[in-house]
Amino acid sequence: MGSCPRIEKEVIESCRAGDEKAFADIVLRRQKKVFNIAYRMLGNLEEAKDLAQEVFISVFESIKDLKEEIKFDAWLTQITLNHCRNRWKYLKRRQYFNSDSLDDPIETEEGTMPKAIYDPSDNPETHYEKKMVQQLIQRGLLKLKEDQRELLVLRDLQGFSYEEMRELLGLPEGTIKSKLHRARMDLKGILEKAAH
Amino acid sequence: MDCEKVRDRFSSLWEKELIPPEEKIVREHLSSCQQCQQEFERFEKTMEWLRSVGEERVPDGFFPELQKKMEERKGKATSTERAGGRWLGFPLSLKLPVQAVAMVAIVFLVLYLAKMMPTEMYRLKDGKQSAPSLSIEKKSGQLLGQREGEGERGALETSPEVSRHKDVEQAKAPVPAEGRMEEGSIPQVPVERKAEQMFAQKGVEKERRAAGATAETPRSEEVEHPQSSLPREGKLKEAYVPPVRADAKKMEIPAPGTDVIGHRTFDSKEAARAQVPSPEPAGIEGRLVAKEKSIVASKPPREITLRSSDREKVTSKLHELVKQFGGEIVTSEGNMLLVSLPTGSFSGFEKELAGLSPSTSADKVAAKKKVLGSAGATPGRKREEVDEKKEEPAKSAIDQDSRTVVRILLIIE
Repeated sequence: MGSCPRIEKEVIESCRAGDEKAFADIVLRRQKKVFNIAYRMLGNLEEAKDLAQEVFISVFESIKDLKEEIKFDAWLTQITLNHCRNRWKYLKRRQYFNSDSLDDPIETEEGTMPKAIYDPSDNPETHYEKKMVQQLIQRGLLKLKEDQRELLVLRDLQGFSYEEMRELLGLPEGTIKSKLHRARMDLKGILEKAAH
Repeated sequence: MDCEKVRDRFSSLWEKELIPPEEKIVREHLSSCQQCQQEFERFEKTMEWLRSVGEERVPDGFFPELQKKMEERKGKATSTERAGGRWLGFPLSLKLPVQAVAMVAIVFLVLYLAKMMPTEMYRLKDGKQSAPSLSIEKKSGQLLGQREGEGERGALETSPEVSRHKDVEQAKAPVPAEGRMEEGSIPQVPVERKAEQMFAQKGVEKERRAAGATAETPRSEEVEHPQSSLPREGKLKEAYVPPVRADAKKMEIPAPGTDVIGHRTFDSKEAARAQVPSPEPAGIEGRLVAKEKSIVASKPPREITLRSSDREKVTSKLHELVKQFGGEIVTSEGNMLLVSLPTGSFSGFEKELAGLSPSTSADKVAAKKKVLGSAGATPGRKREEVDEKKEEPAKSAIDQDSRTVVRILLIIE
């Protein structure tokens, strides 16, 4: 998973045996990744926190089913993506994202801030803080299709290799690349549209 | 290479994944095409921003909250396991008998409720009147025995079907009684009416016998007539008893119930016999009074003198006793009460009354009629039953005789 150091086999085995310390170790080493994937996929800190916790509960409950310790990170990412997909469907059914627009105030850890006007020709740092750009990207991501968002989050935000993505998504590398390019272009279009 | 193909390679170009000759072609196009160049710059900016997005900090208390959640779920799972687990933990050898016993208990409870409930309701409603009905049957059977020849009786004694029919008839007896109670009427009325019909029918039966019909055939027909079934009664009337039907028609009863018709038919006759001024008093109560009066008029009453210092107390106890023995107070004039009691319960009533006042004296002024159904009638009981089986039509003909009228004189000391 990205550039994270691999979880040791012994830790995974201890966790499988029900060792809560080993489980805590895994959580502390992977919580940031899981939480960030969840946040980029859902766009809400609280939902992301709750989802990440659910992911780790699932890990603890089903780690005994993990056959190969070496694939733990891929397995963890798979669980996270599955949870995200389910949660996204759940929230969509409840019209959670209906009012979501790039014009809406952006939720940040410090509170909400007004919409940033996007113009790729401008230097954003001159007008807005970096944080706002990030939130703008986040809004753009939420406008994309779910599978496109997954690709962008995995590749451009989390730094997954094409090989890892191929394993995770079960798609040929060429397909992943072309889909990823389409997603990037769509995001560009969304940001341009929001600027005008 | 056209603009579209160049723009499709933006990602590969940005990630430096194009092979050198291809990259050269794309770059040449971008330098020559202003629009594509601008598009690529915007793409690069988007990618730059996208890659610049840092990771969000995990909210504080993430792990403690996670632990709390896990403990909560563990607790829930444990409580669920405990709830079902205790029973599941028992050995099968213990569980099976317990389940079997529980099932049998449920079945018995359901059967008890299903069977006993109607009986209990019947007892509540009609408890006082079931006993007189039985004594009526016995008495009527005895009287019939006096009228019928010994040969006929003997023939019926040998018939097993007859006794079976008798049982069926007795089992059916409470049903019309229930209906009668709903109307606040006297229980023996339909029986009396039936007796009238049966008396009328008897002649026809004799004719049939004379014509060579077996003794069983008409009996089974009779038994099959349910006492409360209007269509069957109607059929009976049409077949055997034209005079009764004529009476019923005369009454022009609007009520749809079978029993009401039966009552009125009887009442009009009873009223006429008792020479009551109004042959059809208004309402059921009126008819009841007329009937009771007719009973009083037809039989000389027994007299009991009751001495007491507290009139109210004695009166209330007297009322209770009358109710207890299934009787009714016909009239209450000053210190004299006229009470109608089932004959069978008279002796018990008399004893209770004696206990009420030490100076009570029962003057048996009236002619000593044999109390039917009492303990003294035991030797002839079998014969009575046979008579009943044989001549059912007559068994309720003298229903009024089954009630004893008692005149109670209260003397306040």
